[in-house]
Amino acid sequence: MMKKTILIGGEAGLGSNVTSHLIGKIFCSLGYHVFNYRDYPSLIKGGHNFNVLKISDKPVHSHEHYYDFILALDQKTINIHKKSLKRGGVIFGTKETGPVVKKLGGPQILANDVLIGLFFRYFGVDSSTILALAEKTFGKNDLIRKAIEQGYSLTEVKEKIKKIGKPNYFISGNEAIGAGAIAAGMDIYLAYPMTPATPVLHFLAKRQIENNILVFQPENEIATINMALGASFTGAKVMVGSSGGGFALMTEAISLAGMAELPLVIYLAQRTAPSTGVPTYTAQSDLKFALNAGHGEFARIVSAPGDAQEAIIRTQEAFYLSCKYRTPAIILGDKHLGESNYTSSQLKGSKLKPVSYPVGRASSYEHNRMGHTVEDAERVARGQEKRLKKIPRLAREMQKINPVSVFGKGKNLIIGHGSTKGAVLDALSELKNFKFLQISYLSPFPKKSVAREIKKSQKVFLVENSATGLLADVIAEQTGLLIKNKVLKYDGRPFVPQDIIKAIKK
Amino acid sequence: MKKEALLTKEKNTWCSGCTNFAVLRAVKEAISELRLAKNTSIVTGIGCHAKIYDYLNLRAFYGLHGRVLPIAFGVKLGNPDLNVIGFGGDGDTYAEGMEHFVHNCRYNADLTMLVHNNQVFSLTTGQFTPTTEKGFKGASSPLGVNEIPLNPLVLALAAGATFVARGYALETSHLKELIKQAISHKGFAFIDILQPCIMYHKHSIPFLNRNVYKISQSHKKEHFGQAMEKAREWDYSYEKDSKVPIGVFYQSDRSSFQTQWTQLKRPWHEIDRKINLSNIVGEFK
Repeated sequence: MMKKTILIGGEAGLGSNVTSHLIGKIFCSLGYHVFNYRDYPSLIKGGHNFNVLKISDKPVHSHEHYYDFILALDQKTINIHKKSLKRGGVIFGTKETGPVVKKLGGPQILANDVLIGLFFRYFGVDSSTILALAEKTFGKNDLIRKAIEQGYSLTEVKEKIKKIGKPNYFISGNEAIGAGAIAAGMDIYLAYPMTPATPVLHFLAKRQIENNILVFQPENEIATINMALGASFTGAKVMVGSSGGGFALMTEAISLAGMAELPLVIYLAQRTAPSTGVPTYTAQSDLKFALNAGHGEFARIVSAPGDAQEAIIRTQEAFYLSCKYRTPAIILGDKHLGESNYTSSQLKGSKLKPVSYPVGRASSYEHNRMGHTVEDAERVARGQEKRLKKIPRLAREMQKINPVSVFGKGKNLIIGHGSTKGAVLDALSELKNFKFLQISYLSPFPKKSVAREIKKSQKVFLVENSATGLLADVIAEQTGLLIKNKVLKYDGRPFVPQDIIKAIKK
Repeated sequence: MKKEALLTKEKNTWCSGCTNFAVLRAVKEAISELRLAKNTSIVTGIGCHAKIYDYLNLRAFYGLHGRVLPIAFGVKLGNPDLNVIGFGGDGDTYAEGMEHFVHNCRYNADLTMLVHNNQVFSLTTGQFTPTTEKGFKGASSPLGVNEIPLNPLVLALAAGATFVARGYALETSHLKELIKQAISHKGFAFIDILQPCIMYHKHSIPFLNRNVYKISQSHKKEHFGQAMEKAREWDYSYEKDSKVPIGVFYQSDRSSFQTQWTQLKRPWHEIDRKINLSNIVGEFK
């Protein structure tokens, strides 16, 4: 089995993310599987950004912290990560790229292209493949071409990498959310910028004309969601997106969507909280917030896709269910899902077709069937009951769309939701007698399936990017079953498989 | 639709003698005379004004306190063919929803915003709002309000509104004409309607009856400087008599929000989409 892990790093603005993406894309075009993790602090220039690429001829779903290669755009990258280089690992850095950039008289950014040339020459990949994909990414550029060619001349072929299959897809979670929304027939996307949801705003804004959708950035998140509900009232299919802080501002109108029975899809991309937290790092700590946001009692749909392929399907389902049951749907993602790139040999969509239509009246006030205001006891109770009936109906419908998935075989169980899926799947092969229960729908909660899996297992572990293990609380509330073993991570960084393996073997 | 058909049969719960009845009449007649009932959607906030939701037999959205404008803007985004009218109170529009007011003046979407300005929170029993005069004593301000009132006309002008007017509920025919002009305006049309509360701000009625006058024909409403000067004539205070102009202060023809978006042509729900996932994700291969 071929498996390589590559770290690419440098100051913000030096290009490590673009280079990492291009290298990943080239391997995907040769039929390999790639996972691309992105790590960056919240600044525009300076600091230290890095990506980790894990490449294999078998499916990979996560990254790790031991590297076969370090591609360094500055000395700091080498200083920080050298200790994680595997025995026999290779470092290419400014020592190699510096003289070439100087000779070309070009800007510092050309160091990326020198590294790309050097790296692929090392693996004996044809320069025409690289140049073609570089041109596709950066456009025709003579300097870039020269820098790649110069990179080629810096080494001999050390290892031969062959094309092993048809090109694979290479797509991030955020791109998948955007693609899923277009595939669902979304008409309007509204969002105020907030990391890590912003890439969806950029993705859709760029493609709005060709897809005949409208993408607008309102004055704040409160305006965003209220505009969305105004448009939903007229029959438009609408999505909004934000992270925890912006989502917090939206909560009053989430309750309005529940009361006025208006379809709305909300993408909540979690990041390290509370408050501003750590803006460019990951967390799953808004789970209970998503489940409870908005005053009063009403039906809601909350899904947590575990990778890009699932993000496409769950986004389509969110539109379908929200339109059909006329209640808000929240897609719970996070930085790790949104900004990591996943590989798929094919990308499938959902067959469900969302249907929306205009209504004559919508009201935040308790109302009768005609939409007129009521305050008398009997009709107030009737209004509540009518809306809450959606919960069991939704729970039944959800059985048809795999609210939970089980991976592997064994007496012991790992439970998780959302972006931890990748690291858990890659850990599973090194854990004996363990299977993984992924919960993709958190509301309505698939209590029977979850309870059944827990009851027939010996040891049960929760894996979650949080400090308290929120899913264990939800499971306890929904099933009465307690999970004592929690593998938690709350430093803003996603799990790597070794984190989970070590914690469980302890 | 006849004027009468524009009303529902819902029980009216405004106080007997409330000046909101006059606003309701002016709105009903304006819509009827413009023959726009079928194509009109109203959006209300929360407060006494918002009860108009139940009384007008139109497509309607009973929204949230302060959020009339974003909802109305969204209705227009969703269906650009609709004639959208927002109703808000002074607390609604100038306190809770201030940011939306400023930005909607900038956006210049083809909407009408009618603010029932009674200079007090009435449905919550008489607290001050941003337009309440200095010295006002209410349950939440027994020592008297210390702050100067906000002049919403000056704010709207400064923020870029393209139609700025003031009406007086008790000058009902004049108000009706203003509403017709506002609806016909292509862009964001704003009318601050002086609508005195007979329970918590009744002292404004004799003052306004004494001081309100209609802006003369010679006022150049396309002239921003003159509009600003006219808007500053009364500062919403009651310390001493001051003339209170009503009418159109300003109107200009800056292009509206929807003219800038080629996608905004017809109601989205009428669009039949041919969707092919492999085309959408093709770029990732």
